[in-house]
Amino acid sequence: MSTATTINSAEKDAPDLSVLARPPQVLNNRGPLWVTDAVCSIVEGKTPLWWYAAITLSGGLAAMGGACILYMIVTGVGVWGSNSPCFWAWDITNFIFWVSMAHAGSLISALLFLTRQKWSLSISRAAEAMTVFAIICAGVYPAIHIGRVWFVWFLFPVPNSYGMWPNFSSPLLWDVFAVTSYLTVSSLFWFAGMIPDLAVLRDRATTKVRKFAYGIASLGWLGTARQWRHYEMMYVLLAGLTSVLVVTVTTIVASDCATSVVPGWHATIFPFYFMVGAVYSGSAAVLTLLLPLRLLNPQLRELITPSQLDKVCKLLLMMGSCVAYVYVFELFNAWYSANPFERGAFWERFTGSSAWYAITCLSINLTVPQLFWFKAVRRCLPLVFILAILCNVGMWFERFMIVTSTLTHDFLPSSWKDFHPTIVDILTATGTLGIFFTLFLLFIRFVPIMSMNELKAVLPGTQPDHSRRETH
Amino acid sequence: MSHHLPIAGSKDEPLYAIGARFETPEALLGAVERLRREGVSAYECFTPYPIHGLAEAMKLPKSILSFLVLGGGVSAILIALSMELIPSTLIYPLVVDGKPLNLSALPQYIAIVVALTLMIGAITAVFGMILLGGMPRLNNPMFAWDLFAKEASRGFFLAIDAREKKFSIAGLSDLLHELGAGDVTAIHLEASESPQGT
Repeated sequence: MSTATTINSAEKDAPDLSVLARPPQVLNNRGPLWVTDAVCSIVEGKTPLWWYAAITLSGGLAAMGGACILYMIVTGVGVWGSNSPCFWAWDITNFIFWVSMAHAGSLISALLFLTRQKWSLSISRAAEAMTVFAIICAGVYPAIHIGRVWFVWFLFPVPNSYGMWPNFSSPLLWDVFAVTSYLTVSSLFWFAGMIPDLAVLRDRATTKVRKFAYGIASLGWLGTARQWRHYEMMYVLLAGLTSVLVVTVTTIVASDCATSVVPGWHATIFPFYFMVGAVYSGSAAVLTLLLPLRLLNPQLRELITPSQLDKVCKLLLMMGSCVAYVYVFELFNAWYSANPFERGAFWERFTGSSAWYAITCLSINLTVPQLFWFKAVRRCLPLVFILAILCNVGMWFERFMIVTSTLTHDFLPSSWKDFHPTIVDILTATGTLGIFFTLFLLFIRFVPIMSMNELKAVLPGTQPDHSRRETH
Repeated sequence: MSHHLPIAGSKDEPLYAIGARFETPEALLGAVERLRREGVSAYECFTPYPIHGLAEAMKLPKSILSFLVLGGGVSAILIALSMELIPSTLIYPLVVDGKPLNLSALPQYIAIVVALTLMIGAITAVFGMILLGGMPRLNNPMFAWDLFAKEASRGFFLAIDAREKKFSIAGLSDLLHELGAGDVTAIHLEASESPQGT
């Protein structure tokens, strides 16, 4: 009797545990079959009109970019606005912009997988695709900015007997290895994660061509218990390797700048600076890509839920705040160093000819992400889309500011020279946008844009209830 | 034919396996535990997503992939270090910025070691998974079973190898039915002349 009363009073005082419940992975209690149909229908359905319009536009831009690159190769780097002392200008600005954007994709899929953040499952495949395509766009620049592209093989560690003297102490050579391994690993991570889902498309294929193509791509996956055992092990290993890679690649790219003695670059905070900026711009890019995708494919609204988008916004806010901290710290560092050149570089950055883009960068990156403190802003998706694009614009200006304002104002005022982009610079940069969107459009049309197997495995009721089984 | 199971593939060809479909992962897991108790060992489960506890129920060993990746990573470290140190310090000593050629200069070689280790580790992981999982493979006798070929992404399937000698085919079929399996089918190989079957 007394026990019963104790239990009753305990029940009364018990806290309401429902507030701790995780938001559903998929809305409206959809089951695994619905998830398969919803994701596959994007690939299997009739090609929508907007897709043709979009790929025509992005394909045209990509072709224009290709033409500009060809023109640059046959004419020489003089067609760009790069000058002495600003040898690195839009080429390296865009390289850093793209390679940084790639990082959030790896971070969302790998680091959030390792930390068991299940909310990221619906967006991780698209984020990984974004990573691969952004690295491809980034990779265009280092290859062509050397001027004589036919000597690009000098970048690789050819034997010293050839007289190239590969310098393993140089961050520029580290960069070759970092970007190569990043492209390799992120492509493998993306593809390996897709194998079971490609097999689903193979089983559902209605035409011979599709059956053959998806059959080859899925490598004969059957979903046997042994295959899953190795597959799960591989996924954990790859997520671990990729998480380390994300940090090392940005660190190495930042070292390109930081190991030089140029004022404005020679700072130990650079790897962290590039890292947080990378995740910040990448999260913004994920939002920029997913929101229209969700609008155009209504079934995705139940898979990419407002709660998941809310979390990406919070990631953006956190990283945006880190970026703001670095901006302030950089200024403090310049003052505290008591180095006249360091102080002069920052004074020139905000008062000289680079002031307009330095101030654009700061005013966007210091204010826009801070709006995400407000739930009303995070839940208003059209506003989130606009703010995410603004963040990306701000980050592009940041990369431009870091690369160009530093190089144009070094030690000797007599060697200062401003940078002005030429039309070829502008069209090549627009062309890489075209390459990126063309690849992304092909991705959403031909492969499953969500990891169906991972999603299905975490839906309620899809796993055997072990606690119930034991009692039988 | 002594058994009265529906036949997939070509009935003149040898029997490959007895296939069954289960409605829920619990039913499949229960069936696996029962088969193990009965001493049946040559079987395989097919699921559209990884089922927690299935590999343990089947007594599958831990994947050796992690050891392969460790091996790949360690060899990558050795490859990267020899690629950097042997030419730059021993054969063609290259002094840059007055940095020493001895081991105190090791930190400057680490970035490439890390990049290569991660790359070769990841390549080992993916190709190891593919090879250990019996891939790449163009076809599989299981695809002779139309239901499996169409529904593998939806249902939970079990196939008992025809080489399993502990039970007769009829005995296995009874056992599977008793465990709640549906669509118990005798899967024969397909006739080599006509890959579509008859």
